[in-house]
Amino acid sequence: MNLCTLKIMLSAAFALLTNASWAAGSIDGEVTQQAVNSTAIIMFIVFVVLTLLITWRAARATTSSASFYNAGGKITGLQNGAAIAGDFMSAASFLGITGLMFVAGFDALILSLGAFGAWPVLMFMFAKRVRNLGSYTFVDVVSQRLDKDRIRLVAALGTIAVVVLYLIAQMVGAGKLIQLLFGLPYEYAVAIVSALVLAYVAFGGMLATTWVQIIKAILLLGGVTLMAILILAKFGFSVDALLQEAVAQHPKGDAILSAGVAFNDPIQVATIQVSMLFGTLGLPHILMRLFTVPNMRQAKLSAFYASLFMGYFYLVLLIIGFGSIALLYGNAEFFTTDGQLIGGTNMVAIHIASAVGGDVLTGFMSAVSFATILAVVAGLTVSGAAAISHDLYAEVLKQGKPDSKAELRLTRIAVFVIGIMAVLLGIAFEKENVAFIAVMPMVMAASVTFPILLLSLFWSGLTTRGAIAGALTGLVASVVLIVLGPQVWVSVLGNAEPLFPYNYPALFTMPLAFAVIIAGSIFDRSERGEIDRQNYHDLLIRSELGET
Amino acid sequence: MSDPRLEKVQRKTRRRLVFTAIHLVLYFTFTLNWTHLGEALAGPVGGGLLSGAIVMFIVLVLTFIGLEFLFLALDKRQGES
Repeated sequence: MNLCTLKIMLSAAFALLTNASWAAGSIDGEVTQQAVNSTAIIMFIVFVVLTLLITWRAARATTSSASFYNAGGKITGLQNGAAIAGDFMSAASFLGITGLMFVAGFDALILSLGAFGAWPVLMFMFAKRVRNLGSYTFVDVVSQRLDKDRIRLVAALGTIAVVVLYLIAQMVGAGKLIQLLFGLPYEYAVAIVSALVLAYVAFGGMLATTWVQIIKAILLLGGVTLMAILILAKFGFSVDALLQEAVAQHPKGDAILSAGVAFNDPIQVATIQVSMLFGTLGLPHILMRLFTVPNMRQAKLSAFYASLFMGYFYLVLLIIGFGSIALLYGNAEFFTTDGQLIGGTNMVAIHIASAVGGDVLTGFMSAVSFATILAVVAGLTVSGAAAISHDLYAEVLKQGKPDSKAELRLTRIAVFVIGIMAVLLGIAFEKENVAFIAVMPMVMAASVTFPILLLSLFWSGLTTRGAIAGALTGLVASVVLIVLGPQVWVSVLGNAEPLFPYNYPALFTMPLAFAVIIAGSIFDRSERGEIDRQNYHDLLIRSELGET
Repeated sequence: MSDPRLEKVQRKTRRRLVFTAIHLVLYFTFTLNWTHLGEALAGPVGGGLLSGAIVMFIVLVLTFIGLEFLFLALDKRQGES
């Protein structure tokens, strides 16, 4: 492979990189179906059998909608922390960040820090208060002091929008990833993911979903640990020797050890940081996990353990990323004859597994990547189903007094509808550029759900009118700026230059949403607005002390 | 401010905000790597190849976990559990 072909490969990778879609969970771009990987398939079948057995056991405990939504509130902080980590450490994190490090070195760490940065804030600001105030969804929390019907409707629709967009990105990513890893056709991959998630969620609810996520987290952390040890062993367990080889192999030399290879605009970096941190804090399927533990102490411990697992994961990825540069560049086995990395940069993590651990580790990490998708999609499905059956049906339509059997039945129907919709949307969007769809849920969560959640917990002046005005402003601004940005205006609509220069507009849309919520609340002179303000005192005491 | 419960809640809220503010300042400090101030971190630290920027990433991750641990410890000391 000569320098010229390497440059072509790098430019192609940068084109993907500017989408920064890895951060939000999609595997983007054209992929080539690889040869069938039987080791990976066997290992994946073992994972599926194990998780289906757990689902079978969980199904016996899932007899009411309450147990469906929050696993009966009996998950411990440690288990929940592992499940949160399992939910959030997506294939995009593992494959995408490793691929980005392979291309750009240090710059990929902005995605690692972005993905990690939300968890401490979740613990400091939200874990306890959200757990104390809610029952099943974050919408329970924001509707405590505001006009229940109106805010539930807006917040639940916001949840469904975030879940559906996230789901599309995951399903398209899953289809392409499984083509790469297992050599299975796209449609089969999408159908398998959906069928398995339906089995987990429809029968085992949150309990089965939790265990799928825990097992996946253990397998992923175990796998990356083994990979890191094997990589370091190649360099006599010397990080310096590893970096020396990486610098020698990479066409950018020692530039990969500091910032500037992929990004050169600090505002662009800040947009990614803001979107990832505040977007994560507004993701409904993540917030929902706080209700699966028995008390506020365990809720805080959940966030702490999630941080520990994810902090470890992103530190280990540092070794794997630089290891991939050191061991893959210059190794003709992993490149096509015209100098392209086989399968593209999303395959870097799998190639490095192959380089240090042979077929067995490759099969294992491929199976773990598949399991990763199942865990994320399962979490999204539970959250989407709860928004429909709990937030909309039980609380809005039935005014908090639903027939419990009818609610559970509706929950399972909602799961099936979401599952079928996921397959149809996954197939419909196969040929589309989904990078913007992957960005949208994070930006929307940062600009719609996060501001309402934060202000409902920490600002006495919030009113329903202000919250709704701000949420709608955040939603519209997010969609408009993403459409005017590079991912839609240039990549999808084919224009030469974007009208808005950044992929992640949350740096601008989130403050706008806050400003509208605050202004709308301050100028709200309605009777309802006064009630909303007066409700804050009781809510504050209850959120911190668990009493009224 | 006659309600002692409210005073307690406000004290806890202040602590939450202080920890969050420290975290956010440190988190966004990472952006400095992409400004001219980041040039100071581009070079190696100590005798090896490990750059100041990579060390900063590692230190930030460990500091965030440390902050959480401290936050939990303070809560526990006040008998909140």
